[in-house]
This record gives sequence, C-alpha cells and structure tokens, in this order.
Amino acid sequence: MVFLTLSCWIRNRGPDRYWKVQEVLKNARHFRGRKNRCYSLAVRAVRRAFVYATKARKAKRRSMRTLWISRIAAASREHGMKYPVLISNLVKSSVQVNRRVLSDLAVTEPRSFLSLAKLARARQQEGFCAALGNGKEPPGVFSRIVQLQ
Amino acid sequence: MAVTLQGSLVEILRKCSRLSSHLRIPVTKQIGSSFPVTARYQSSKSIAYPSSYIPETSLSRPPWPEVSIVDPEEEAKQHQAIVKKVNNLLENGEYGRLFAVVHFASRQWKVTNEDLILIENHIDAECGERIRLEKVLLVGGEAFTLIGRPLLGRDLVRVEATVIEKTESWPMVHMRFWKRHRYQRKRIIIQPQTVLRINTIEVAPRLT
Repeated sequence: MVFLTLSCWIRNRGPDRYWKVQEVLKNARHFRGRKNRCYSLAVRAVRRAFVYATKARKAKRRSMRTLWISRIAAASREHGMKYPVLISNLVKSSVQVNRRVLSDLAVTEPRSFLSLAKLARARQQEGFCAALGNGKEPPGVFSRIVQLQ
Repeated sequence: MAVTLQGSLVEILRKCSRLSSHLRIPVTKQIGSSFPVTARYQSSKSIAYPSSYIPETSLSRPPWPEVSIVDPEEEAKQHQAIVKKVNNLLENGEYGRLFAVVHFASRQWKVTNEDLILIENHIDAECGERIRLEKVLLVGGEAFTLIGRPLLGRDLVRVEATVIEKTESWPMVHMRFWKRHRYQRKRIIIQPQTVLRINTIEVAPRLT
C-alpha cells in the first residue's frame, strides 16, 4: 500500500494555488520549451491541447470513414467496378454490411469480398436488363444514340 | 548517345521510305512526333476510311457497358449446383475456421471464435454470462460465404459470446473554448466498457 498522504502533507506548506498549478503542469510535462514548466505558458498550451483532443475525437470518425471508402474503392476496382457502383448495388440488394467491415473484408477476406462484388455485378446487370426491356427503344422515343447497323 | 542513336534510326527509316515510297512503315507514325513535318504529313494523309465508317464518339454506343443476359433456366441450374456444393461442405464440416459479421451495440464487428471485442457501453448481462449475438450479417468459411440480406436466419447461424469484463474507459477530457468570449467548459468523460469473448460460431448443417 502506497501511503501518499504524508508526503503530500510535507509538501503542503504553500497555499492551494500550488496544487492548482501542479494540476495544469502535470498535463504539460511532455511539452517542448518553457511550456512544460512555466505556468502562464502552460495553461494556454494545455487548454489548446484539450480542445484539439476533443475535436479530434469527432474528426477521427470522419477521417476513418474516408479511409475505409478509399480502401473499398481500390479493392472494387480490382474487380472491374467503381466504388459507387459497388455500394449502390449492394444497398439495392439489401446487404447492409457497413464500410468498415467491407474494407476489413477487402483486406483480410478477399474471396468474400469477391463474392460481394459478384453479387453487386449481378444486381447491376439485372438493373440494366430491366431498364432496357427487350432491347428496343420504347415507341415514340427518338434516341440520340446512333444505331450502327 | 541516345540522341545519336535515335538520329541514325531516323535516317535509316527515311532511306527505307525513300526506297519504297508506296509502302508505309508503321514505325514512322510513332516516331513522327520527334521527326520532320514531312513524315507526319504523309502519315496523316495515308489513313483511308471505308465508306461505311462512322467515327466513334460519345454517342456512337450506349453509355452503359455490354449487358450479358443470362438464361433464367441456366441460372437456376447454376444456383442449384452451388447450393448443393455448399450443403455438402456444411454436412461434412469442411469449412475450416468460420468468421462472422455481427451487428452488436450499434456497430458491426467482424469476429471469429476466441476473439475479444471491446464495447464502449455497459450491456445488460452480468460478468460470466453467456449471450448470443443474433444479428448476423455474413458468415464466411474457407470456400463459401453466406451473405444475409440483410440478416441471416436465427436457426442457420449461432454466434455465442461471454461477458468477460466490465470496466470504465480512461478519463477523456472534453474541453470547449471560445477565445475572447470568456467561454470555457471542461468536463471529464468516463465511458463504461464491456469486454466480450466470442466462444463459438456454428452453422447449421444444412441450408434451408
């Protein structure tokens, strides 16, 4: 059992301000320059650091999501598909695996990712077939696409 | 060195073209950029299009890629064959170590058995209790993947976990500061945490 109270009593001859200063300096001990020992400089630096940490905890979520998306985009291009095509077709076939897991799968389980890509591709072809109907243009529509035959 | 080599090559080509002026050498076209204007002029003149040629533009073909229409009967056959194969694998248990994607505590986890997962909240089970994770989105083995749309059936997959530990996160400082407005708020946030151990991932011996 560590008995700290006694050593604190021995130290405790000044006013309460001493402990208040130590509280701040405790968080600044690893800072560079005079910030790690001069209170008036340390308070500002510590406050700044805490604000950064608070904001970063939110920003991390966003940046991780962009990282996952770029990983999925790279992996889906391996299978000849663009990222929006893959995601939208997975959503259309009601697969609700999120981007974090998708990027994990792309890295560690390439075969499962391939099967997901195949599913998306099949859904895309189905959508095209449904949109094209029997391959002819609907009556009364003049298409700008040149027919080669 | 490279420059002289290129120059000599160009000279040889020029001689060749002089010898057989009616015969076009395809190499001259590629070098044309670093080559006198005459060669470029000739090469551009030489392309003769057939009369039925339509230049390729953005409108000369549909904007979507080629659609391969699969015969529904053949597709059903393929589907049956795959289901049979997977059923065989499941019956014989030849799938190696399984992994599953489970939705738990409002996020998705890719787990395999003997995994530890840390949940940033308390859950409604005591330490040592065994719970079943029911929202399974995806199960993969060595040679197959079962994809739920969106979930796999409860009787098909069974993922079990044990609550190992309930703790708290380290204190996180939440600080807001608005300069020149005398606005400063400091709060310490401590989040309850739970550690789960994934015990088993089991698949029913047959697809339904």
